[in-house]
Amino acid sequence: MASQRIGELDFSEPYGIHHRINNPSSSLINDQGSGFDFGELEEAIGLQGVKIRNDETKASAFFTGKPAATLEMFPSWPMRFHQSSIGGTNNKSGGESSDSALSSKNENPFEPESPLSKKASSFCSSDQLQHLQLQQDMTNNNDVIKTASSPKSAHEKRKGGGSTSDNKPLDAKTLRRLAQNREAARKSRLRKKAYVQQLESSRLKLTQLEQDLQRARSQGMFMDWSGGVGSNISSGAMFDMEYARWLEEDNRLLTELRNGLEAALSDNEMRVMVEGYLCHYDEVFRVKGVTAKADVFHVINGGWTSQAERCFLWIGGFRPSEIIMMLIQQLEAVAEQQIMGMYGLRHSSQQAEEALSQGLDQLQQSVVDTIAGAPLVDGVQQMVVAVGKLANLEGFLRQADNLRQQTLHQLCRLLTVRQAARSFLVIGEYYARLRALSSLWASRSRDQTIITSDENSCQTTTDMQMLQPSHNHFSSF
Amino acid sequence: MNQEKLMHYQVDPWNYYMMRVRRRRMEEEDEMERVMRIVSESAVVIFSSSSCCMCHAMKSLFCGMGVNTMVHELDQDSKGKQMEKTLMRLLATNSTTLPVVFIGGKLVGSMDTLLAFHVNGSLVPLLKQAGALWL
Repeated sequence: MASQRIGELDFSEPYGIHHRINNPSSSLINDQGSGFDFGELEEAIGLQGVKIRNDETKASAFFTGKPAATLEMFPSWPMRFHQSSIGGTNNKSGGESSDSALSSKNENPFEPESPLSKKASSFCSSDQLQHLQLQQDMTNNNDVIKTASSPKSAHEKRKGGGSTSDNKPLDAKTLRRLAQNREAARKSRLRKKAYVQQLESSRLKLTQLEQDLQRARSQGMFMDWSGGVGSNISSGAMFDMEYARWLEEDNRLLTELRNGLEAALSDNEMRVMVEGYLCHYDEVFRVKGVTAKADVFHVINGGWTSQAERCFLWIGGFRPSEIIMMLIQQLEAVAEQQIMGMYGLRHSSQQAEEALSQGLDQLQQSVVDTIAGAPLVDGVQQMVVAVGKLANLEGFLRQADNLRQQTLHQLCRLLTVRQAARSFLVIGEYYARLRALSSLWASRSRDQTIITSDENSCQTTTDMQMLQPSHNHFSSF
Repeated sequence: MNQEKLMHYQVDPWNYYMMRVRRRRMEEEDEMERVMRIVSESAVVIFSSSSCCMCHAMKSLFCGMGVNTMVHELDQDSKGKQMEKTLMRLLATNSTTLPVVFIGGKLVGSMDTLLAFHVNGSLVPLLKQAGALWL
């Protein structure tokens, strides 16, 4: 019973042991005599690594040695000291132990003249950090240690009662326990490291996924959406967004071309930029083709264009012969042979445009005949036929975009690299002015006094001057 | 006759299968020969359909260039379906591809290839070479 009491060292009742010590009726406790066993302590100090055992022995010595009266004098101190000295091994409640450790770190509230206290305090202070470390790591080892320590301490007391100088078996056990604690601490540290690494890797993966998402969105993920995967956005609206992005990219590329021309870069570098710009155009034709499969009317009617652009639209885009004509008139320093080539290109594209327009006219005629000729009662059949005929619209849009693409490629073949760059700049500028014209027109209809508004006046006049020559060209068409 | 066929199939299935394959291949060759014969008759031959608008566009293109073309309306031909299949095989595509044009007995292709050639500037020399265009 006495051994149990000693072995428990119940810190949940800080003054419990205090009370127990007040009843030194156990024979075991009193067997060691009333005095504190300094010999034991010196040996303990000698063996630095086995502080826990020493704490235990000290504690046991304390309990055996000090009469209750002494403890009663400093009711708060002894327990803290006990807790700190015993360290992490005998923590019955982890929080309490850490608190006690921290508090004992700061103060060693004992009679300085007491050799025990001095030695104990020095012992404690030297090992405080290790105590703390062990205490922090020992939270999950409490149970192990609790179960291990109680029988061990009981065994210790019995042994201690027998021969005070025989510490080897105790040392071995404590050593083993300490080693186990170290192992556990190391394992928990490793686990923590692994967890942190896992967190880091998943963070990297997250950023990569976000980048992929951005890239996919910019490359036109709307193709999945046009199938109607739970989104309210129509394919037409998606195409408008795609086109807006394409326009931004267009501006960026044109600025690059302009800077390249002004900086007089080498021909190879300019060629790379020109080919990049051609790919940029190929991209918009591809996207238009994909959208046309879902919503051909949106593309052909030019809902994605500004108003002025829409006015001059031909089968969902620009008329190649018009662009060629504009370039012939705007480009300078063009050789005779090149001009002849461009006239030939214009001629061919005009013939192609004519053919496609006639085909489209025939399609319209056929659809009108089908719908108009439908009998009042049973028009479903005719409607089905008409819908089938309208499916050809996509084919015409495809051919028109193909014609535009081929014209641009042929243009680059005819001209030198710098001339090609300049012609792209001219085309880009033309469309920018068309869009400015549209916005001007919209603001004009909103506000009749456009000339009087200060911020617009300069822009208006210069825009009008800029637009004048290009506008004249197309009045002939 | 059917009785014979059935027995033949039951008795020697592999040979029967090979016989069927050979017959189909011969039919295909016949079709191909027919097509080749047709396209060699004229400098420019268009296989089209009377109701197809893209075929109309192709015809207008050649008309606008002043080229006389021979037009073969497959929907008015008894063997039109088979010829269409042959053309699809020639073009190595699975979708209906009318109109298809041959110049000088050689396959040019569908509308998009024709337009590409025209914009390239290679259509006119081709026509001149085939004798469809003078000047």
